[in-house]
Amino acid sequence: MRRSGFLRTVLLLTLAVALTATTAPAQQTKPPVVVALVAAMSGGSALSGEAIKRGLSVAIDEINAKGGVLGGRKIELVIRDEEGNPGKGVTAARDVIEREKAVVVFGGIHSPVGLAMLPVFHELKVPYVGPWAAATGITRNGRNPNFMFRVSANDDIVDHFLAKHVTDKLGKKKPGIILENTPWGASNQEGLTKWFGQLGAQPVGFEKFNWGDPDMSPQLLRLRNGGADAIVLVANAPEGAQVVKSRAKIGWDVPTISHWGISGGRFADLTGELSESVVFVQTYSFFGKQSDVGDRVISALKAKYGIKGPEDILAPVGTANAYDAMHLVGLAIEKAGAADGVKIRDALENLGEYRGLIKTYKHPFTADEHDALNEKDYVLVTWKQGKIVPVTMK
Amino acid sequence: MFAQLLFSGLALGSMYALVALGYNITYATSKTVNFSQGQSVMVGAVVAYALYVSAGWPFALALAVTLVALAVVGVLVERIAVRPFLRSASIAWLLATIALGIIAENVTMILFGKDARAFPSALATTPWMILGAGVYPHELLVPVVGIALMVAVELGFRRTLAGKALLAVAFSHEAAGLMGIDVNRTITAAYALSSLLAGVAGVLLAPLLNVSATMGTTIGLKAFAVAIIGGMESPRGIIVAGFLYGIFEAIVAGYLGTGVREILGFGLVIVVLLLRPWGLFGAPALRRV
Repeated sequence: MRRSGFLRTVLLLTLAVALTATTAPAQQTKPPVVVALVAAMSGGSALSGEAIKRGLSVAIDEINAKGGVLGGRKIELVIRDEEGNPGKGVTAARDVIEREKAVVVFGGIHSPVGLAMLPVFHELKVPYVGPWAAATGITRNGRNPNFMFRVSANDDIVDHFLAKHVTDKLGKKKPGIILENTPWGASNQEGLTKWFGQLGAQPVGFEKFNWGDPDMSPQLLRLRNGGADAIVLVANAPEGAQVVKSRAKIGWDVPTISHWGISGGRFADLTGELSESVVFVQTYSFFGKQSDVGDRVISALKAKYGIKGPEDILAPVGTANAYDAMHLVGLAIEKAGAADGVKIRDALENLGEYRGLIKTYKHPFTADEHDALNEKDYVLVTWKQGKIVPVTMK
Repeated sequence: MFAQLLFSGLALGSMYALVALGYNITYATSKTVNFSQGQSVMVGAVVAYALYVSAGWPFALALAVTLVALAVVGVLVERIAVRPFLRSASIAWLLATIALGIIAENVTMILFGKDARAFPSALATTPWMILGAGVYPHELLVPVVGIALMVAVELGFRRTLAGKALLAVAFSHEAAGLMGIDVNRTITAAYALSSLLAGVAGVLLAPLLNVSATMGTTIGLKAFAVAIIGGMESPRGIIVAGFLYGIFEAIVAGYLGTGVREILGFGLVIVVLLLRPWGLFGAPALRRV
């Protein structure tokens, strides 16, 4: 009796499965194409993750409104918080690819996380597209085929931009460099050493700090005593704020030029008026005259997130880079003709012209160049009353 | 440069001393330590931020409520993570207090978020110049309040009945018990006091460190190093060691570079443990035969 009951259950189940299998296509709902964001959605740089999410979402809405990709499949975004922790990033990358079936993964602000996830993307053969983390080694990693792409700054190029600004625009030849004691800091130490050397300037020192350090005055004193005439800062928002506060404390009034990590958190809240003494690099500014793409993105952000204007777009590079990155990925999925990591990777390298937010991309990526943005696309900005605004050069 | 490093070191050192004193109070009375002391610092700062900045309470009221809340936290730590393990003479309390600290950090992340927030202080915006060194007035406030509190605790121990009970329990559980002192309740009080000190440290440090769920982790660890260097059972040794350690760190960072700061700092802890396990300023325990 018991046995036949079991058999009957199995039979019924089989029948049910068979029925659903045959009825599903009849409903005409095509499965979505999943893309993932693995980024710092919390912590001192949480704003960066939110900004990236907004840029991706606006682009996804546009793509889906036009009928999606691959003949009517909608794009769906899944998000995981890596909390700035490389270990959590690796777990999250595996999770979104293996369980959520993501075919492209976008990254966050933290280069150490991006570098840690790199082997996962090559093992599982799914492309990573970075809208923020800038470590040179993320895209220039010596892998072939290379699954790492980026629509963002690249430390090596940013370092040249910063060094050129310090030596040519400011006319300073003895920069003091203070950077975080992480792989991201190391990536910039390498780039800044190289470019300052080529521009004929000799950094007086490379001082380091750890995440969470409360007082940076010893490091700054060493630079000041070394005769530094400008500070180049490589930090995220919390530590960048401590550097600037310590600089004010020791009464050192000197041009401070920063990589863009400080724009990923509450830097302006943490430093108040001092934030206005720092200039830093961005890939895009929502201020000033916008292209029609810029206007469209701003109105979409207004409608979707209730912002009032460009001054409310916090961590704007995250939004701008992510917006263009998502559209490029959309084009690549279409060109690949399948939701397949390897085919999408190949397609990314062979995309045609795309009129984007940051610029018109002629050939966004090639086999040798996996960075879609370069020095010509960077702008210099500062804070005015808590908002990021372009620097008007004298 | 030296004056600047000295001021930085003094401010840091007084933070360490204040938190380390909390380790001493519980260790003296129960031979246990609250390893989530650093997280108590953080809870103090976060509660004060929530009441003073977010809810807009007057500072005095916010401070008073924060301190009461921290005393309660101390009682909870003792009841949940320490007392159940005291009798069995195991070191499970060590793991249990660490676990509580991690829980506290993560609960804070959920309730408060993981962003670092600025805690406004009128004393931490414009630096003063003293002897050619810049210092935020708030950084001078930390050692002043710190030393005042340490003196108050010391006097409280010697002059009040409750303080004498604490000292008696620290001397011997059996003897104190025989004299009619409730040993368990005294240990609970020691935990409340130690957590309260950490809370004061949290409120004091908030404008300098910014408020975040992880702000107390490093401070808690370094304060423990200070407690070891000064001698777990020697409050005055801990205070001196706190200041020395802070100045040591600033000077090492200033003259040798930050790269070697933690190496030399924690190296010193091991050297002290090897040569003077009772601490630089403590006295070796009498051998009981």
